[in-house]
Amino acid sequence: MSSNYGEFEAIIGLEIHCQLNTKTKLFGREPNNFGAEPNANIGFVDTGQPGALPVINEEAVKKAVRFGLAVGGKIREISYFDRKSYFYPDCPFNYQITQFYKPIIDGGSITCDVDGEQMHFTIEHTHMENDSGKLVHFPDFTGVDFNRSGAPLIEIVSDPCIRSPRQASAYASAIRSILLYMNCSDCNMQEGHLRMDANISVRLKGEKELRPKAEIKNMNSFHNMELAIEAEIQSQISFYRKNPDKRIKTGTYRFDLEKQKTILMRAKETANDYRYFPEPDLPPLVLEPSFIKEIKESLPELPVAKKERFIHTLGLSKYFADLLVDDKLLCDYFEEGQKICKNPKAYCNWLVVEFAARANEINKHIKELQIPPKHVAELVNLIESGRITGKMAKEIADLMCKNPNLSPEAIASSDERFKPMNDTSALELIIEKIVTDNPESIADYKDGKDKAFQFLVGQVMQKTKGTASPPLVREILLKKIGE
Amino acid sequence: MFTLSATDIVKKFKAKEISAVEITAAFLDRAEKENLGSLLSVLRTRAMKRAKDLDEKFLSGKSVGALAAVPVIIKDNIMIDGEICTCGSRFLENYTATYDATVIKDLENEDAIIIAKSNMDEFAMGSSTATSAFKRCDNPWNTDYTPGGSSGGSCAAVAAGLAPISLGSDTGGSVRQPAAFCGIYGFKPTYGRVSRYGLVAFASSLDQIGPFARNIDDLALINEVIAKPCQKDSTSIQTPAEKTSKTLSGSIKGLKIGSPTDMLEGLHPDILSAYNAFINTCKELGAEIVNISLPHNKYSVPVYYILAPAEASTNLARFDGIRYTKRSSNAKSLAEVYELSRSEGFGNEVVQRILLGTYVLSAGFQDAYYRKAQKVRAKICEDFEIAFKTCDVIAFPTTPFPAFKHGSITDPVAMYKQDIFTISANMAGLPALSIPSGFTKEGLPIGIQVQGAQMEDGKVLNVAKAFESKTNYHTMRPSEKGVSL
Repeated sequence: MSSNYGEFEAIIGLEIHCQLNTKTKLFGREPNNFGAEPNANIGFVDTGQPGALPVINEEAVKKAVRFGLAVGGKIREISYFDRKSYFYPDCPFNYQITQFYKPIIDGGSITCDVDGEQMHFTIEHTHMENDSGKLVHFPDFTGVDFNRSGAPLIEIVSDPCIRSPRQASAYASAIRSILLYMNCSDCNMQEGHLRMDANISVRLKGEKELRPKAEIKNMNSFHNMELAIEAEIQSQISFYRKNPDKRIKTGTYRFDLEKQKTILMRAKETANDYRYFPEPDLPPLVLEPSFIKEIKESLPELPVAKKERFIHTLGLSKYFADLLVDDKLLCDYFEEGQKICKNPKAYCNWLVVEFAARANEINKHIKELQIPPKHVAELVNLIESGRITGKMAKEIADLMCKNPNLSPEAIASSDERFKPMNDTSALELIIEKIVTDNPESIADYKDGKDKAFQFLVGQVMQKTKGTASPPLVREILLKKIGE
Repeated sequence: MFTLSATDIVKKFKAKEISAVEITAAFLDRAEKENLGSLLSVLRTRAMKRAKDLDEKFLSGKSVGALAAVPVIIKDNIMIDGEICTCGSRFLENYTATYDATVIKDLENEDAIIIAKSNMDEFAMGSSTATSAFKRCDNPWNTDYTPGGSSGGSCAAVAAGLAPISLGSDTGGSVRQPAAFCGIYGFKPTYGRVSRYGLVAFASSLDQIGPFARNIDDLALINEVIAKPCQKDSTSIQTPAEKTSKTLSGSIKGLKIGSPTDMLEGLHPDILSAYNAFINTCKELGAEIVNISLPHNKYSVPVYYILAPAEASTNLARFDGIRYTKRSSNAKSLAEVYELSRSEGFGNEVVQRILLGTYVLSAGFQDAYYRKAQKVRAKICEDFEIAFKTCDVIAFPTTPFPAFKHGSITDPVAMYKQDIFTISANMAGLPALSIPSGFTKEGLPIGIQVQGAQMEDGKVLNVAKAFESKTNYHTMRPSEKGVSL
């Protein structure tokens, strides 16, 4: 996807609505769960009963603050809630409780990798608000499911600092990663935990003023968002090429995936006047500096810092570091086992190559294999110590997948097959023969070619059907070559 | 029996002179027979069951609550689980509450027997109970007159002896003004002192549930039961309240009473005399009178009629014909469900205030109306802060005029001006009490209001306790004035 728009440039801002993974709703005390029977998790507040009053959920506030601190935003010690009025059947009070004038978090920034280039994006503000219910359409009527009504959301509003669809999705992915690692949200896209609105305008390069913008609402896939933004940019550019003196209509659009086109839903002239004013049922949200400090001190490691650590401290490649950090489940799995593993690099390899492949074969995530992470680490430790060979380890890994409760140690000691060839005199005989049979390799090795040595080790392993302990093989081989 | 105070009923019940079932049955019978239009529903089944349970509990030797066997009437904008709650509106004619308001739980925890829900102005919007969608409510002193509003039903009922105590709600004077019109006590506690959970919101930042009673001890007793911290109301005061039934000394010696002399122009002459008499009595009781000024009070009516409708326009948005309110049978589209249900469901006064509130919050008008009104509200609060530096409480009439005849005020602005002396206490969240303080030449009651600084509810009630010891206005009953039920 090209971000080269000729004489034009695109100006994009994202609003990301994130559903927080709190136990209960933002203002009521009903469970905040997905997938229950319609209207199972509802209460007086979330169905808008007369006389019901909102009471703020402290867990939600903590999660919002945690996100704010993670992106380096300023946490307001006093923020306010406001009523946003509009009539819709899924909105039980016919107003949403949001933070329009003084949101909980001001500013913040995101640094992420966009196609190999480190880029910096800024966040305008982040505010808290409650989610609406959902309309469910049937052939002859429409119902409202209020389960989601009152679910806590934070809305993360970027500055108009994004210039291409790729940047937009890189920014959004980085936000998602932070939300996951801060345990603010489960970020399940299918369940709508992240919903994105994009504000898009284009202008001639060098132009100072912003032109009218189109807002594409409610996207829940990064890929589709890229397609939608690109389609809208192209549509605006082609409009301005044909009508250089005219301007597009500001309005709300939706993306039609089949037609690959954005479609106008509501022009600005008919837009709502939301009549924002302070929510009188909620006093100002006052956060003590000690409350913020406590959250700050307990902040988990940020994904960017984690990647850095994997690369520089553990010695992983950037590829593997990205792979791990971008899959939080896998990364958590890695980190747990890594604590007891002697060789993080080998352990990572075993995890993302060997075990991931075995999980993949049966369409599962590695976590679903139910193998405790420390077992994988122990397997690597067994190889490291020469207790088993790599070949044996592969077989043991197969058995671990079948019997997730068995430790590699237990499997290895249960069968003679997994006993390495520790008979030094027998091994010496084999190695002597290989040294004699391969004078060119010896010469190459002596010329400094490491590969020749690896070849000789391979020969030994072949001869011993993989039962020789590689460290022992290396030791004897070096001794024999030296003679 | 119907002239007994709540305190006396508790005593007689505890002395086993009379059972809860007997008390309850007597009050229910009376309520069903003749009630001046003060009641919208009589909760016979619920009340009799609770009375029976209470008798059994008492006979089994268990301890009983502070309001044991006392019949209580509740304004019909407060939720009682399983009972209809109409708010005086056709829109909620069939709405059954699904939970108890905090005050209902508090009352029933103390073994009060709730016998009826009372008539009110629709959604508490009015000053004469005349905007009720259901029936007219009469003033027990003279049925040609209004009992005031919006809590006219709860007030008239207590004045007429249908119950010794009741609850109303006060957003701009809706407890105090009817109390003055009907010659009983009506109290608006400090904002946040009584939980609003389960009170149908009119203007959230001004609404406060408050009690009616015929004597100060009863008022202090019920106030103590309902004035508590509540976890379900974020605006509830979280510190415990003082035990007003025990702390009232009846002595106001040395108390500084502020008198805003600049506000006394244009009063009904009998009210001015009653006010002067009130002040003199307080002096005799040892209080010191201090002249104070509340210069922004004159703006309180226009400010109120911007802020209260603004909040109401959103609070009443939930009544939309979608979930529980009546849906118009003529609606053929979503837009019509909203438009027709709301125009059929709401009465004129309510529609007028929703339109007003929507207008003052609209883009382009919010600065000129809503925000400016907020600034004036802050000025009104400032007046009180300054005043309370020189005095402990403030006293002035509850209303500029006594009760008026049904239908005699048709101009809405003239009606709104009824609240000129009561609104500012809601603006500033102050405790304010209307005290029975005399009668006009025509025999209509007069109320004098005492206001205190926030959280000084006990100080306010104590002024009444002292005044009551020197006067007998609170003992006057309508029947003695020749107006029979």
